[in-house]
Amino acid sequence: MSHIRREFSKILFLRRTYFGWAGLFLIPFLITVALRLSGEGPPPAEQGGPEFFDLIANNGLLVAVASLFALVTFLLPLLASMAGSQTIAGEAEAGTLRTVLMQPVHRGVLLLAKWFVANLYIAIGLVILAIGSLIAGGAIYGLKPLTLLTGQTVSVGESIWLIFLAYAFVLVGMATVVSLAVAFSTLTNSSLTAVGAALVLVIIMLVLGSLSVFDFLQPYLFTSHFAAWVNFFRDPIDWDPIRDALINFVVWIVGMTGIAWYVFRRKDILS
Amino acid sequence: MSADPEATTVQEAAAPAATPGSSPAVGPTAGPAGPLHDRCSDETVVLSTHGLTKDFKRLRAVDNLDLSVCRGDVFGFLGPNGAGKTTTIRLIFGLIYPTSGHAQVVDHRVPEQRQQALRHMGGFVDDPVFYGNMTARRNLRMLGRMNGFVTEERITEVLEMVGLSERGGSKVGGYSHGMRQRLGIALALIHGPELIILDEPTSGLDPQGMKDVRELIRELGRQGTTVFLSSHLLHEVELVCNRAAIVRKGRLVAQGPVSQLHPTSNAVKVLTRNQGKALEVLRGLLGPTGVKEDEEYLVVEAGEELVPEMVRRLVADQVDILAVVPAIEQGLEDMFLELTAREEEEERR
Repeated sequence: MSHIRREFSKILFLRRTYFGWAGLFLIPFLITVALRLSGEGPPPAEQGGPEFFDLIANNGLLVAVASLFALVTFLLPLLASMAGSQTIAGEAEAGTLRTVLMQPVHRGVLLLAKWFVANLYIAIGLVILAIGSLIAGGAIYGLKPLTLLTGQTVSVGESIWLIFLAYAFVLVGMATVVSLAVAFSTLTNSSLTAVGAALVLVIIMLVLGSLSVFDFLQPYLFTSHFAAWVNFFRDPIDWDPIRDALINFVVWIVGMTGIAWYVFRRKDILS
Repeated sequence: MSADPEATTVQEAAAPAATPGSSPAVGPTAGPAGPLHDRCSDETVVLSTHGLTKDFKRLRAVDNLDLSVCRGDVFGFLGPNGAGKTTTIRLIFGLIYPTSGHAQVVDHRVPEQRQQALRHMGGFVDDPVFYGNMTARRNLRMLGRMNGFVTEERITEVLEMVGLSERGGSKVGGYSHGMRQRLGIALALIHGPELIILDEPTSGLDPQGMKDVRELIRELGRQGTTVFLSSHLLHEVELVCNRAAIVRKGRLVAQGPVSQLHPTSNAVKVLTRNQGKALEVLRGLLGPTGVKEDEEYLVVEAGEELVPEMVRRLVADQVDILAVVPAIEQGLEDMFLELTAREEEEERR
């Protein structure tokens, strides 16, 4: 616990931490204001947007959903990559990694504490995003009972619960990116290289997932499961794709963190 | 535990005599057939390395290193740049893994028992690095508590010891190099370890800063803390340390009390108006190897008892003598250069 507290206090002293969180707070306002000013509304379902996007102008709760939809493929993976890459490579680059490892700390425990705090950073970011969305959406469109993808209407309280589940799901999805970045972070002393490597892999997966010729890869690419959170907005909730996605995420998380653990335990600290 | 067969014997006489500040328990433990190598007895050893070797691909950075640091030593770890000093310290701290061999701190083997070993030591390798966006106090609190509970009073105390008490509340990012060196020493001291390892602690400091740090190291030694001081400054080791090891290309060249790495000479220096003729006369008296040329002097390897005869011969051959002075005691620097040159010569053969 003391390792987690220490690692968390470190990120609180970094300016970029607040830039990331501030960005996540502002984005829902930008989306809401842009939609309000354009008067056109979000992309309708027939143009590729989820069905409930058609309804956003009627309900501010959907800003939280729209924000998630807008950020899940790039900005959130970018923040997750940055958070993950800072864990080892960022400290190695700064030279502080050797200062820390000259104290009696177990390398594996330190790595897990750093992994946890990187995910905590994303979790806080998602909470900020949700709060920003509810404030922005509530202020401009009002918070009303939500109509689900299957046509039923649920109360505001139940809607917020479903939004919470969707955000929690995305958090697990982003943990795959964090784990990937942490693994790269143990392989290099450059945080930029680790961020770049993790992001490139995410983009490659997104490209592979968008090409029908690679459909056979879909079940294995974690990026192909990022959008499975929309299944929370059905009644009953469609658990099958959610379960498949979570299994995929957990396999990637365990695999990548395991690699990071293995490498870091044996790594020569030369920075 | 065998002595490095390639290490030069520093003093092939008896066990080193205890000198003020040196460890009385120091004594030779190498077998009679091997070169005598000054090591600590098992009870007093705080830090030792045993066949410590580290390869980086094809480069052997540390080569079968056997060091022995006794409790209470201020131990100089000398070597030119690239000799493997920093790599050795990284190995001792468990930052890198040895290719073979191990280090031992008190009763704990490194790397196997790295965490336990680290509780007994503190220090820094290369330049000490801290979190620049935090104050010195916060850095010490955060890093120091990885060693257990650290009180604010202790933080104040170590900051005072290194002369940073007035800047403890400033962000480390604004610190000068010298201040960071001092803060590195403060962090090393915070949990009161038995062994402090400092890698070139005076590098980049101004003369006053160097003096202060050396005085601090001496004071730590006086208080009974064992200090392992890596340096390429021979003068510094002479000033501060009671024992030292010399390394070159990752290998141990010599190890022993500084007083014995500092042999005296019974040579005399002769200056005349005609050095060429004087050389001829003195070689006639002492043989070709008895006289060497050293800049403007002739260095005569002879005891004081031969001086009257030398003078008589020179006067008889009408060589005007300007000065006959004892050769200055050979310094550690000369010793270091001599030992490393000898190693190079052996390598060429």
